[in-house]
Amino acid sequence: MPVCQFFLQGRCRFGDRCWNEHPGARGVPGTRQPPPQQSGNNRRGWNATSQRYSSVIQPSSFSKSTPWGGSRDQDKSSFHAGASTNSGFGLSQNPFASPSSDEQKDEKKLLEGIVKDMEVWESSGQWMFSVYSPVKKKPNISGFTDISPEELRLEYHNFLTSNNLQSYLNSVQQLISQWKNRINELKNLNMSTKVALLSYVKDGVNHITPTFGFGSKQAGTFGSPAFPVNNSSSDNVQNFSFKTSSGFAAAPSGSASVFGSRPAFGAGPSSNISTTAPAFGFGKPEAASAALFSFKSPEASSFGSPGFSGFPASLAASPFGPPVAPAFGSHSSAAGFGSPGSHSQTTFPKPSNDMFGGNSMSTSFPVSNATITTDNVLFTPKDQLTEGELEQFQSKKFTLGKIPLKPPPMELLSI
Amino acid sequence: MSLFGSTSGFGTGGTSMFGSTTTDNHNPMKDIEVTSSPDDSIGCLSFSPPTLPGNFLIAGSWANDVRCWEVQDSGQTIPKAQQMHTGPVLDVCWSDDGSKVFTASCDKTAKMWDLNSNQAIQIAQHDAPVKTIHWIKAPNYSCVMTGSWDKTLKSLPHPPPCFQFWDTRSSNPMMVLPLPERCYCADVIYPMAVVATAERGLIVYQLENQPSEFRRIESPLKHQHRCVAIFKDKQNKPTGFALGSIEGRVAIHYINPPNPAKDNFTFKCHRSNGTNTSAPQDIYAVNGIAFHPVHGTLATVGSDGRFSFWDKDARTKLKTSEQLDQPIAACCFNHNGNIFAYASSYDWSKGHEFYNPQKKNYIFLRNAAEELKPRNKK
Repeated sequence: MPVCQFFLQGRCRFGDRCWNEHPGARGVPGTRQPPPQQSGNNRRGWNATSQRYSSVIQPSSFSKSTPWGGSRDQDKSSFHAGASTNSGFGLSQNPFASPSSDEQKDEKKLLEGIVKDMEVWESSGQWMFSVYSPVKKKPNISGFTDISPEELRLEYHNFLTSNNLQSYLNSVQQLISQWKNRINELKNLNMSTKVALLSYVKDGVNHITPTFGFGSKQAGTFGSPAFPVNNSSSDNVQNFSFKTSSGFAAAPSGSASVFGSRPAFGAGPSSNISTTAPAFGFGKPEAASAALFSFKSPEASSFGSPGFSGFPASLAASPFGPPVAPAFGSHSSAAGFGSPGSHSQTTFPKPSNDMFGGNSMSTSFPVSNATITTDNVLFTPKDQLTEGELEQFQSKKFTLGKIPLKPPPMELLSI
Repeated sequence: MSLFGSTSGFGTGGTSMFGSTTTDNHNPMKDIEVTSSPDDSIGCLSFSPPTLPGNFLIAGSWANDVRCWEVQDSGQTIPKAQQMHTGPVLDVCWSDDGSKVFTASCDKTAKMWDLNSNQAIQIAQHDAPVKTIHWIKAPNYSCVMTGSWDKTLKSLPHPPPCFQFWDTRSSNPMMVLPLPERCYCADVIYPMAVVATAERGLIVYQLENQPSEFRRIESPLKHQHRCVAIFKDKQNKPTGFALGSIEGRVAIHYINPPNPAKDNFTFKCHRSNGTNTSAPQDIYAVNGIAFHPVHGTLATVGSDGRFSFWDKDARTKLKTSEQLDQPIAACCFNHNGNIFAYASSYDWSKGHEFYNPQKKNYIFLRNAAEELKPRNKK
């Protein structure tokens, strides 16, 4: 879009409604009256003005307005493209401001954009169970799960026929509160959320570690009374969402590093629990993911119906109050999104399939020894570990087939 | 030929059975109601191809059935036949010669319905509900493409043997293409196919020789994908697609545009309080997009119970309907663009609380020859 000359002078009559580009739109003086006529622009021939088309701000469009291009490079531009409806370059009045301050403004724009989008999402009554991305080209923000209305409806019908409607209602309730929490989080951005969001968007990397450790804990949640326990802890976990730093009781950075070195196998604290991703019941687990998880549990036949495969499995097993839904919370979805994070170049979280597959597979894993209590959600006290498990934790690497199901003891974490 | 068992016959189609109230808003546009409409929400609509004389409409519904009507030029609709699945029917399509109808269902199967013999046989099996089904006719092959929530696209050879005991396990798909996520919607116009998946995935396939992935596209929309439709250029070649999301927005995307920044755009639709920016808008999902086969203009239907016609080249809105009392779940043009069919039934956009099994579901037919003429650029 061409840059609005009037806006640059601070006297655009159309304000928000203007069809031209308003760089650094927010807070700039300018009247906000509706345009009396749409004159002087190239949109003649509009029949109904009740709707307005807005162009997608594509990165390549920045090349058009070279006067503003100055110190900018395409990457930066594309970064905040579409962050808010009017942000072009995230410029302030001074086009030649140093890149660093502009970058801050970009970030600010992005965050503002996210906040605004969240507000709109909440107030508009639009479909809740959808993924979201602040910038059109970027991967999805974690914490939101994609459920189509048909999938939800199918679940309803399935539960109806099995006379288990209450479980469905509960899980939907859970999903809704999950979503509400996440929205509130994103609306009221505090420091850590901001940091996580920004790093996420910039690098396309999702720093949420809970992509790991599905295997163990998930096994714990399905079909065992340990599940409600997990739920309660997952409430805490929810708050963690992006706040990887604050999320883990002890040595957050430490745990991150632990994860770094030991991808996924049972070495996880709370993240595992919340990510008892029945969300990953979506779609059939792929056999290929067996490679990831050494448990080699039998194919998750417990996943009866498609879509919410997690639901019937766990809910049929025992009528938990808050059912599997916590998995849809920030972490679990984060897990799904984590993969795109780690593959910042690709658009689709392909590896997440593996995660999904792995998770669902391990659901049928018999959890006889998963005694997870609320107190020890993050770490197992040393005395609760068996010899073999202790050995595993102490060794440099996990041995396939011997990976402990419980989280490591606090003492063994190297921070 | 079986008639519809659960309805009370042909004659009652026109009027509401429960004694219409004066404020009954189920048909504010006064369009033609299809008789004997399905008993539960309609998931998909499809008109017969030009090879078949006359117009036949197929609708799949959440009552597990697929129904066929003949639509006469007078506007009269005659129920013709019905088939059942064991799960809700999510998508239907015709073969190019108009003799067969393919249906995709939540029972994880796809069936081929031979209209002449009124027999339906299973042709495909997935591990999860089959969400989309399309017929592909290429010079050197023809097949049925099914997309499912099990994250695969399968294309099945055609014609499968008929009048044979069909062992589903032996029907091998010609090709299985993995998807990054569950398939939510798809469209095919040879030689191009577009699939939109969960997690904002978008893949374009090229179908020459055999279906293969052509490009993965970053989604131009910020929210969940809901529906997609391919459009053609002046030379009748598919050149791009329109993608609708749950956020009341449609993106027009060209595959190889001369100027992507200018040519690709998104527009908002199916929202309330159009111009009033101070009050929060209600945003509705776009449930279906259909392009007029002759004019190239498009129609969108949404959860707000309205349909709108747009001209994407002039970037204008042509018309918005009055609001129906139920969401519009599906829409379809007939082969020459004279008839626009849209289905008024609950699409679950507000969850189970708003589901009323007693509410009647309608399919309306509208004369679309005039209203969808493109706006002339001045």
